[in-house]
Amino acid sequence: MWWLAGIVGAVALAATYLTWTASRVERLHSRARHAAAALVDKLNLRAEVALLLAAEASVRLGRHAEAIRVGARAALDSPPDQREAAENDLTRILRDLPLPSDDEVLADLRVASRRVAIAKEVHTDLVRDALNSRSRRATRLFRLARDLCRPTYFNIDDPR
Amino acid sequence: MRIGIVSPYSFAVPGGVQGHIRDLAATLRGAGHRVEVLAPAERGDDLPAYVTPAGRSIPVRYNGSVARLTFGPVAAARTRRWLRGGDFDVLHVHEPLSPSLSLLACLLARGPVVATFHTAIPRSRALAAGRGIAQLVLEKVTARIAVSSLARRVQVEHLGGGATEIPNGVMVNHFADAQPLDGWPGPGGAIGFIGRFEEPRKGFAVLRDAFAILAAAHPGLRLLVLGPGDPARATDGLDAAVRERVVFLGMADDATKARMLRSVDVYAAPNLGGESFGMILTEAMAARTPVVASDLDAFRRVLHEGRAGELVAPGDGAALAASIDALLSDPLRRKQYAARAAALVAANDWPEVAERVREVYVAAIEACGRPTGVPLPA
Repeated sequence: MWWLAGIVGAVALAATYLTWTASRVERLHSRARHAAAALVDKLNLRAEVALLLAAEASVRLGRHAEAIRVGARAALDSPPDQREAAENDLTRILRDLPLPSDDEVLADLRVASRRVAIAKEVHTDLVRDALNSRSRRATRLFRLARDLCRPTYFNIDDPR
Repeated sequence: MRIGIVSPYSFAVPGGVQGHIRDLAATLRGAGHRVEVLAPAERGDDLPAYVTPAGRSIPVRYNGSVARLTFGPVAAARTRRWLRGGDFDVLHVHEPLSPSLSLLACLLARGPVVATFHTAIPRSRALAAGRGIAQLVLEKVTARIAVSSLARRVQVEHLGGGATEIPNGVMVNHFADAQPLDGWPGPGGAIGFIGRFEEPRKGFAVLRDAFAILAAAHPGLRLLVLGPGDPARATDGLDAAVRERVVFLGMADDATKARMLRSVDVYAAPNLGGESFGMILTEAMAARTPVVASDLDAFRRVLHEGRAGELVAPGDGAALAASIDALLSDPLRRKQYAARAAALVAANDWPEVAERVREVYVAAIEACGRPTGVPLPA
């Protein structure tokens, strides 16, 4: 009879571990998903702030104002698979503005860029955690991540 | 926002991390947030009202110095109760990989967790002791903050993750508005030094040699020293007449430290190495006292590549003396450094730093799919 109790105990332990791992995998994926949504939100904010800047400082910016308008629109309208390239273009346009980086008119853009950088940092970390959880042996063996979308990194240059 | 902050070290002993947490909590409370702090302490201790004591702390050797830590079932129970009662929007733990309350709180947390890493020493014992535990802790962390680029590099290279770099804060007004100590700097001028002057890596011996050179050229020049240690041994080798011009304040509270920084014409940081941030230089900058510091990575960064103060080769007493001599003889140059330092240190003022920390809180809360509770200014 003891061997039976032993087996039942072992199965119960294994089941507990699997349930715990499954919820852990699920939680890490959900975090990565939310972080991606938050990052897109911060990128939208930056593009909108850039559009405002182009309108407010169009005289000082000259031809750069039009470049900002085009770049920001492209970022906001781009389909998901082209978003990274569009954001990098916008970052480059904003980096090359003929204004000193501590100019008062750029204050909002500085804040928006900083938030993009934070959101990107968080997103990258959480995607890495989620991907690590997918490659664990228990996850693969019991296909605990089969219903969960594989999260992907968002490769953009650091805005500044 | 409801914010819970966990300190790994007791408030009963002074320390960089504790000071950081106290100032951060005070600044966030001033901005209208509800902040509570959990720290190792006894119920009888003299603590601010927002600090919850989590029990006695035990001295543990860690990172080459003694840290007082709290760990165990009682601490775990109190941490759990504090977490449940606080109903925090975000939990902010400091040094979560040291075996401490921070690690406990991290493991027990349910919602968004922000972790700040202060040390830049790669191989911490906690890490060596348990990769698995470290992995579990880091998985609970939603967003990471590093207080220096060195601390950030440790994150990237040893823990496989990024971190947002937010510098240590300084209460600029506290230093800028402090009154010089009575009778200082005096007609002959004064040089300042703060720290454990008997620790070789603080480089006090280099400053002592430099002072011996300077004392001859500047009659009446004095050296003001604040920090624990034995003055007699530290001034060994100086002429009796020169030795009289070195004044030791011993240990002192924060208010005296601020007044001391305002009491000298030049602040000297002759350190030989082992500094990860150089908080004292930031404080001297806030006090508008020109700085001469060893050319170490951390110091060069704080002094903005030498724009906010002079950099000299570490360990070179003659070079240190020459640099201080030039500053003492040129009030206009001192003013120029003070003005530049004041402009640059504004980015380290606590309200500014706390706002950047708050942005990370918001990012962590959003990454957990929760409403942030406070509207974001556009």
